[in-house]
Amino acid sequence: MSLIAQCKPRALRASRPVQVYRSTSSDPYVNLSIEHFLLQRTHAAATVLFQYVNRPCVVVGRNQNPWLEANLQQVRRGLGPDEPVPVDLVRRRSGGGAVFHDAGNVNWAVVCPAAAFDRDRHAEMVVRALQALSPGTGTPRVNARHDIVLDTPGSGGGSFKISGSAYKLTRLRALHHGTCLLASPHLGAISALLRSPAAPFVKARGVESVRSPVRNAGADPGAFMAAVVAKFRHMYGDAGDEVMVGADALDAVPEIRAGVAELMSPEWIYDQTPQFTLSSHPTDDDPRPRPALPPNLPPNLRIHLTVRHGEIQTAAVSGLRYVALSRADESAAHDAALSTSLAGQRLHDIRDWHAVLERAAPVSAADRLHVGGWLNGMFGLETSA
Amino acid sequence: MASIARYIRSARPSGLAALAQSSVSRRVIARPFSVTATNAIRKYTKEHEWIDVAADKKTGVIGISDYAAKALGDVVFVELPELGKKFAAGDAIGAVESVKSAADINAPISCTISHVNLTLEEKPNAINQVPEDDSHGGGWICKVTVSEQGIKDLDNLMTLEAYDEFTATEGEEEH
Repeated sequence: MSLIAQCKPRALRASRPVQVYRSTSSDPYVNLSIEHFLLQRTHAAATVLFQYVNRPCVVVGRNQNPWLEANLQQVRRGLGPDEPVPVDLVRRRSGGGAVFHDAGNVNWAVVCPAAAFDRDRHAEMVVRALQALSPGTGTPRVNARHDIVLDTPGSGGGSFKISGSAYKLTRLRALHHGTCLLASPHLGAISALLRSPAAPFVKARGVESVRSPVRNAGADPGAFMAAVVAKFRHMYGDAGDEVMVGADALDAVPEIRAGVAELMSPEWIYDQTPQFTLSSHPTDDDPRPRPALPPNLPPNLRIHLTVRHGEIQTAAVSGLRYVALSRADESAAHDAALSTSLAGQRLHDIRDWHAVLERAAPVSAADRLHVGGWLNGMFGLETSA
Repeated sequence: MASIARYIRSARPSGLAALAQSSVSRRVIARPFSVTATNAIRKYTKEHEWIDVAADKKTGVIGISDYAAKALGDVVFVELPELGKKFAAGDAIGAVESVKSAADINAPISCTISHVNLTLEEKPNAINQVPEDDSHGGGWICKVTVSEQGIKDLDNLMTLEAYDEFTATEGEEEH
């Protein structure tokens, strides 16, 4: 490992033209906030490398829908099976799709002047770092989606994604950051974490992820980071010592602290979601055939929700069965009252749909149980036994 | 706009895209825009936003230049500015996402947001199709009221001719 300077958060404000940082924190909110600070506050002409390794987390793009991109129930349950490992849900500030991070994945970020922005340049740099390490698992290259894939020979071979890219551009500065799967012990769990049960029922504005088969590049994370630093220095010249930064940056830099608070807030994680609809049945707007609903749901059940800025804007629920009906048309009145009561509720604040149904109308016990359970499942909530 | 002309470089490795880009920078593009007020003044920023300021200099319309829209690639989402919010020149007022990039849209001049183009929520690619159209169905981003400072800020912006020259030079640097 290269010489490491004492951690002085004020070093983050350094104005030298080439700078290299590494994080000692595994907190994704902290690391993304340090990275954002480097994007916003380093000298406009500086080129900066920052590398970090996060604890397990699902990271969605700036304009994505966590209810659609992640299995939130799985995220909340964490990784198993023995010792449950918690998984954080994160919305980053850059574009692009949903990814999974853990200790076997290194995140590399390059901040440079907007005038030097190029979608492939730094992915190519990472490819050269991988080539230098030559882990022997395949041939890395940058593909048309600006991701790094590993071409592997033989039967069972093919192209596997090992690194995904995303970008954030401000007036003067450009951030290119990417993942690099090196030695993740959780590859088998990624697909389940990034697959939402609501997908067949949700139509969302914003950005949808593109699924790719993934693989570990098979290198040691520490060796990879050193190789990336070497290739970065080769491109940009003397960068001085690699500066270690971490959680103490929060105390030293109020902007980073504020960044962490923003990234951790439900307003950012959930309410930033572009508008979407959930419909139990095909609609004009979303005519896809739907999977069969569970047989224990009422046969005439129809649910249509429009969610904007994380808040239910309109709701149309019908077909529920109610108790103590005195008139035949009372069902419709209850449907209407229920729908009205849903409008204005923040989706993220709903922790149990059984309770929501119970409060809104005299829904029969069976329908409350099963419809509530179905909606809990759609939005990634646990149904307590 | 976040210096989105830089996207051009990223497109270079693909020969076809580079060809397309070079024709962009040579711009023989008909500008299918309309204007909301007679004698509106249209000015451009180096970051590729445009603003139409009405003849009375009280209101304006903001969007992304044709040149930038071509360079961006497929716009998949537009984060619109917040209604009623005040911005200084250069502040990020919203963002567009294309090809995994979230790019800030910056205020060309000091202004307050009075309308946003909700059409872009459903049809973000109107930015690709008619970026400099400030009419209904066009790719304009927002309408603003212009402050005293905003009128002064206009002096720092480019005319169409100056902007064309600016983007042509950028194109030459690229190729």
